[in-house]
Amino acid sequence: MGRNWVGLAAAAVALSTLAACGLGGPETSSAPAASASGEVKGKVSLQTWALKPKFTDYVQGVIDSFEKKYPGVEVQWLDQPGDGYSEKVLTQASGGSLPDVTNLPPDFALPLVKNGLLVDVAAADPKVAEDYVPGGVEGYRYAGFDGVYGYPWYLNTDVNYWNTELLTKNGLDPEALPTDLDGLIAQAKVMKERSGGKAYLMSRKPTLIDLTNAGVQVMAPDGKSFTFNTPEAAAILDKYRDAFKQGLMPRDVLTTKYAGNTALFNSRTVAWTTAGGNYITSLATDNPSLAPKVVPSPAFGTPPLYVQGLSIPKSTKNLPAAIALARWVTNAENQAAFAHLVNIFPSTKASASDPFFSQSDGTHSGDAKVIAFTSLAKAKILQPVQVTQAMSDFVDQQFALAISGDESSQKALDDAVAKCDQLLNG
Amino acid sequence: MAGGGRGFNGVSPVEKVVRYTLLVFVLVITIGPFLWQLSTSLKGIGEDVYTQTPSFIPQQPTLGNYAEVTETIPVWAYAGNSLFVAFIVVAGNAVGATLAGFALAKLRFRGSKPALGLFLATLVLPGEVTIISQYVIVRGLGFADSLVGVALPGALQMLNVLLMRTAFLSIPKDIDSAAIIDGATVWQRLVHIGLPNVRGMLSVVVIFSFIYAWDDFLWPLIVLTDPDKYTLTVGLQYLNGTFTSNPRLIAAGTMIAFLPIVAVFAVLQRFFFKGVEAGAIKG
Repeated sequence: MGRNWVGLAAAAVALSTLAACGLGGPETSSAPAASASGEVKGKVSLQTWALKPKFTDYVQGVIDSFEKKYPGVEVQWLDQPGDGYSEKVLTQASGGSLPDVTNLPPDFALPLVKNGLLVDVAAADPKVAEDYVPGGVEGYRYAGFDGVYGYPWYLNTDVNYWNTELLTKNGLDPEALPTDLDGLIAQAKVMKERSGGKAYLMSRKPTLIDLTNAGVQVMAPDGKSFTFNTPEAAAILDKYRDAFKQGLMPRDVLTTKYAGNTALFNSRTVAWTTAGGNYITSLATDNPSLAPKVVPSPAFGTPPLYVQGLSIPKSTKNLPAAIALARWVTNAENQAAFAHLVNIFPSTKASASDPFFSQSDGTHSGDAKVIAFTSLAKAKILQPVQVTQAMSDFVDQQFALAISGDESSQKALDDAVAKCDQLLNG
Repeated sequence: MAGGGRGFNGVSPVEKVVRYTLLVFVLVITIGPFLWQLSTSLKGIGEDVYTQTPSFIPQQPTLGNYAEVTETIPVWAYAGNSLFVAFIVVAGNAVGATLAGFALAKLRFRGSKPALGLFLATLVLPGEVTIISQYVIVRGLGFADSLVGVALPGALQMLNVLLMRTAFLSIPKDIDSAAIIDGATVWQRLVHIGLPNVRGMLSVVVIFSFIYAWDDFLWPLIVLTDPDKYTLTVGLQYLNGTFTSNPRLIAAGTMIAFLPIVAVFAVLQRFFFKGVEAGAIKG
């Protein structure tokens, strides 16, 4: 992945250069090229991200029903592989060949919004804010740009997962799980002593999400500078530094990247991880003997909100059909049907009362679903979309320096803020 | 060797142990991850993949993962696409790099130094930087969403030109001069003196460009839109979907993609190691 992200950064730079030269030829006016209120017919293309082959039947079903509802419309479905999707989207954008309806998470959509390539769906379809949950719509609003640049699709959040076997073996009670960072550190001490340092409870170093959760304002409201070098943030890093010094975390956490905590959890080195609502199901594939021993609990503090959405490029030649299709794919019934297949959550307000999401089937995976669903009500996007992978990487390195004690927490934060500001405005 | 005295080339037992230990160590760290993939691809659905100490012997060995890969994606069609691309890339590099390398090494022409400089300069740029402009060019040529478009940018690689140039440079000037005095044309010098002496390097170029074409992921992904035209590396990504990634299937897919590279190397390895000796220059 690392290499791809370097590529993404380079490609993003190249894209903005191209757009500036007018080579990509994007319209920079805010009005869509075609009218929104035309008849829904003709050809329209839909691009999804790595849903084949597992969800082929589902997506094809949604498309078939759409074509049935609007006779004369023909949907071309493209499913892109998981790796390299951001590069694919950026090249499509610079070549002017983005599909009419494209699945873009908010951070992938940002460079396209900056170059004026996406349709403001709130302007084209005023009911967006009424029909979708505010958190989802918020994901597609960008500081400094008016409008909403995508229909919210499915949502997810993080849930805490615990390895009950490791907990009970080391004198901890799975019924009394930690509910905040201090509780986690306290139990991590017990874990370390009882296991003789072989098993751990803490599995990762903090991220910007943890800072937001502790009340640190990561970014200025105008989205033009970073502000997370506060004493509160330094205090969080100090807590982790002390924990690390006492040997409460595996050494690997300093070098591992995102999802490293899940890898440590899978190999039963640590007894805690955070992951999406679908984690137990995928664990059942990876490590079948571990999955039944895993129990979920709500995330510490404010749960993070992860949004997927469907955006429409201004280059679309069939705006009425594109809007109708994006709405169709993201409507309450189709999202609910999707959520029955996998633990994701609809972004439509109408789905909030669906008992399917608020009742567990008794399995741990079912419990995780209910916990995630109830968390969503208060979940927020905790990491600003302006944070690119390059910034996260740098922040990650600075946090590692602070936690290992090689640098003071305040200096690490100052350096991280300075570098992020430079990357943001560079 | 057994029991006899050691000559100049003899190795003391201690040194032998040290040598073998080092060799085994390097062997383990190079093929360890590979063996782990192989064993993962053979593990049954009831087995844990990620464990604290990696286990290499599958408890419930099965070939089912391979069967499932071929059911999930059209492996043979994708492999065919990859072969087509690899063929163009290998042919382009074998011919193009030989001609360009020979010209840069053995011919004197106006601008040969700046030309070499430019060749070197393009090596400095990482591929990702130029990938969008490359895409715009290929699209402008009308090769977007085609296998030719995938193969074209890789069909002449600067590194291979430099490798061939170095190979041609290692042929002593005297042999070439003798040929010139005998009245050999440039083509005759290339065919009769140049080529027999660079077979080793040529096989290196063939192997490298084959591996490059076969393994490339990002560029084919960007050029191709139609899933029927996907190359194997891109197509294998279907095994790693959102919410669904069975590491056993991914490992099996990796093994399938790896086989042709073994085949190409197996065919060419005798040139790879011996080719250099086959020419006119010996000792």
